Amino acid sequence: MANVKLEHVTKRYEDVTAVDDMNLDIDDGEFICLVGPSGCGKSTTMETIAGLTIPTDGEVHIGDREVTNLPPKDRGIAMVFQNIALFPHMDVYDNISFGLRLRDYPKDEIDRRVSRAADIVQLEGMLERMPDEMSGGQRQRVAIARAIVRQPDVFLMDEPLANLDAKLRVHMRTELQRLHKELDTTIIYVTHDQAEAMTMSDRIAVIDSGELQQIDPPLVCYNEPANLFVAGFIGSPSMNFVNGSVSNSMIETPNFSIEFDPATVDGVGPGDDVTVGIRPEDVYPAGEAEDLPSQTAPISARSDVLEPMGDEIFAYLLLGDGETSMSQEAATDDQLLMSIEPDSEMQEDEDVEVVLDRRKIHLFDSTTGAALTHGLVETTTGDEPGGTPAESDD
Amino acid sequence: MATETSQSDEARGPLQRWTQSAIENPERVYRALFYAAMVFFMFTTLFPFYWLLVLAITPEGRLLSGSYLPTIDLFGISATFPLPVPQGFNPQAFLEVFNQLPFHLYMLNSFALAISTTVIVLIIASLAGYVFGRLDFPGRAVLMLGILAISYFPPAAFVVPLFEAFTGRAAILIPFTDIPLFTPPRLLNSPGSMVMPFSALFMPLSIFILTTFYGQIPDGLEDAARVEGTTRLGALFRVIIPLSAPGVATAAVLTFIAVYNEYFFSSIMATSPSAENWSPIVGGILSFQTQYTTQYNLMAAASIIAVLPVVILVIVAQERIVSGLTAGALKE
Repeated sequence: MANVKLEHVTKRYEDVTAVDDMNLDIDDGEFICLVGPSGCGKSTTMETIAGLTIPTDGEVHIGDREVTNLPPKDRGIAMVFQNIALFPHMDVYDNISFGLRLRDYPKDEIDRRVSRAADIVQLEGMLERMPDEMSGGQRQRVAIARAIVRQPDVFLMDEPLANLDAKLRVHMRTELQRLHKELDTTIIYVTHDQAEAMTMSDRIAVIDSGELQQIDPPLVCYNEPANLFVAGFIGSPSMNFVNGSVSNSMIETPNFSIEFDPATVDGVGPGDDVTVGIRPEDVYPAGEAEDLPSQTAPISARSDVLEPMGDEIFAYLLLGDGETSMSQEAATDDQLLMSIEPDSEMQEDEDVEVVLDRRKIHLFDSTTGAALTHGLVETTTGDEPGGTPAESDD
Repeated sequence: MATETSQSDEARGPLQRWTQSAIENPERVYRALFYAAMVFFMFTTLFPFYWLLVLAITPEGRLLSGSYLPTIDLFGISATFPLPVPQGFNPQAFLEVFNQLPFHLYMLNSFALAISTTVIVLIIASLAGYVFGRLDFPGRAVLMLGILAISYFPPAAFVVPLFEAFTGRAAILIPFTDIPLFTPPRLLNSPGSMVMPFSALFMPLSIFILTTFYGQIPDGLEDAARVEGTTRLGALFRVIIPLSAPGVATAAVLTFIAVYNEYFFSSIMATSPSAENWSPIVGGILSFQTQYTTQYNLMAAASIIAVLPVVILVIVAQERIVSGLTAGALKE
C-alpha cells in the first residue's frame, strides 16, 4: 500500500498536450476516480503512473519512491485494462500467475495466492479454462484476479467495466467496492462514466483538456462544482445553464430574472456577465413548492417533451418564445430541464409556472467558467464569501 | 429474341443448350474451370518429380538408350504410351548415392546452414519486426524502404566483394578512403561465409512478415505483460511471439527452404564441391557429374532424397500454422 503523488506532470506529443501540469495527491488506501470526457487525458495520466508513458515534465511518486523513469514492472503497481488484455494463449491459472512466475515465486506460494485471488473474485473451478471460453464478466474477474494476486501497492483500473453490459457493470461496480473494502489498497480508477465515479470513489478527479478541474469527494463535486465544466459533467442529466447579467438587485436572463444582491458574493458586481446553473431536481412546479424556504419568483414556461423514467419524469420546458431545441449544449437560454414527481399531472404542451430553489442556484463567471457561488442567499442574510454552500448556512 | 426464349429445348442445338445451362448455373462452370486449372498445375508441379523417379530407378546402362515412351500393342492397334516409364527397375541407385559420395554429409551441411540461418534470421527479424511493427519513431518508413530496396539487390552484386573479404587477405577500408578498418578472418569453406550472407539476404522477407504479425497484437497485451513484470523484450518473447506463431512459422519455413535450396553463394564460398568444405546438397548432386561421366540416375535419386525433408517440414509446418491460428481456442 502506498500513496501516489503527481507533481507538475505534463505529457506533450508532437502537437497536442495530453496532460497539462497535473498535480494529484492520492492518499494511501484511497479509491480515486479520474473522470472526464474521451480524450481528456485521463488515460494518459494513468499511463504515466503505470510507467507505460514517460511524462515530458514533472515527477511521479509512489510511496516514498520517485518512479518517474522506472519501468512498469518496478513500480509495485497492477493494472486492469479497458480491453481486459488477458493473454489468449494461456489458461486462467497461467494468466493469474503470470507476474508471480516472472518473479520466481515458489510453486506452492503461487498456488496458494492464485487460489486465494480466485476465491476473492469467485472464479473457483475455472482455472483450467482458456480466456475465450469465458464470458465478459468472467474475463474481467480474471483480469482483476491477475492484478490482486501480486498484492501491489497501487491498483490502476483503466475503464475496466466499459466493455460489459449494463447489468453486469452495475454488479461488478459493487464487487469492486467490496474488493476495495477487503484489500484496503490504493485504487486509481479511470472512467468516462460519471455515475461510476460518483458511486464508487472516495474522491473524484475531474479532468478536461489535460487539466485537473477539481478533485473532491463525489458529493462536493456534485453540490459545489468548481467550474462550469465540472457542473456540466457531474450529474445526469446535466445541469441547466442560462446566461445572465448582474444588475443592482437582479440577475437578468433573457427569459426571467432572479433577485440577487451582488454584495453577497465576492467578485461579482453590477454589469458582470454570469452563467446561472440549476440542476433539474432543483426546479419545482410553482404549485408544489410551498415548503421551499427560499425560492425564486415563478417563471412561466411551456412544457415540451416529457420523459418518464419510472421514479421521476424529466420535463423539457421552453422559456419565453423559445424554439423547440433538443440541444444539450451548455447555456441554451431558452430551455430548462426539470425533474418532477412520477405522479405529476403535467402534460406535454401546456403552460406551466416553475420556481427554482434559491439555495441550489450556482453562479459561474461567464468568461472564465469559474464558480462564483453555490446557492443564493436572501438579500437580508448579509455577507457571505463566494464558494461556500448556502445550504450549510440555512 | 422473345421468340427465341420461348423455343422448346428440342428446337435448339446442343451448344445453345449448354450455354443456356451455364448461364443459369454459373457455379458449375466455375467448378469445372477450377478443376481444369488444378489438374494443369498439379501436372506441371508433379511431373518433374515423376520424371526424376523414372530416371532414378532406370538402370545406369539403359539411361541413354531406348525410349522412355514405350509402344503398346492393344488389340492389334499399336500406340505410344503418353507417359514416360522407367526402362527397368533398379532401386539400388538410392543406396549407391551414399556409397559413391558422402551424400549424407552434404545433407547435414545443408541442414546445419539452414537451421543456423533460420535461428539468426528469426532472432534479428523478431527484434526488427517489433521495432517496425510496434514502435513509432521518426524515419521508420525510410528505414523500412531501405530494407525493401536492399532485398531487391541481385545477390550477385554482393558475391565478389564478399568473396574478397572472406579470403582473409584484404582489409576492409572505410568507403572512399584507403584507411583500413579491420581484416576479416579467412572464412571461405566455413559455415560463416555462407550463413552471414544468407542471413542478410533472407532477412528482409522475414522482417516484413514479422512486422505485419507483431503489429497486429493489441497494445493492451504488451502493456499488461509489462505491468505484470516483463521488460519490453520479455513481453516480445512471452506474449507477442507466442501469439504470432503462424507468422513466425511462415518466416521460419520460408527461410529454411530458401537456404536449404541455396546454391549460388555456397558454390562460390565453398571453393570445391566437397562435403569438408561445407558444400551443400546441390554441390553434392552436381558431384555425380564428372568430366567424363554423368550419372543421371544417381543425380535423380539424390534429388528425390534431398526433397524429402522439405516435404516433411512443409507438411508439419502446415499443421503448426493451422494450430497457431486456433491457439486461443485450444488448450496446449
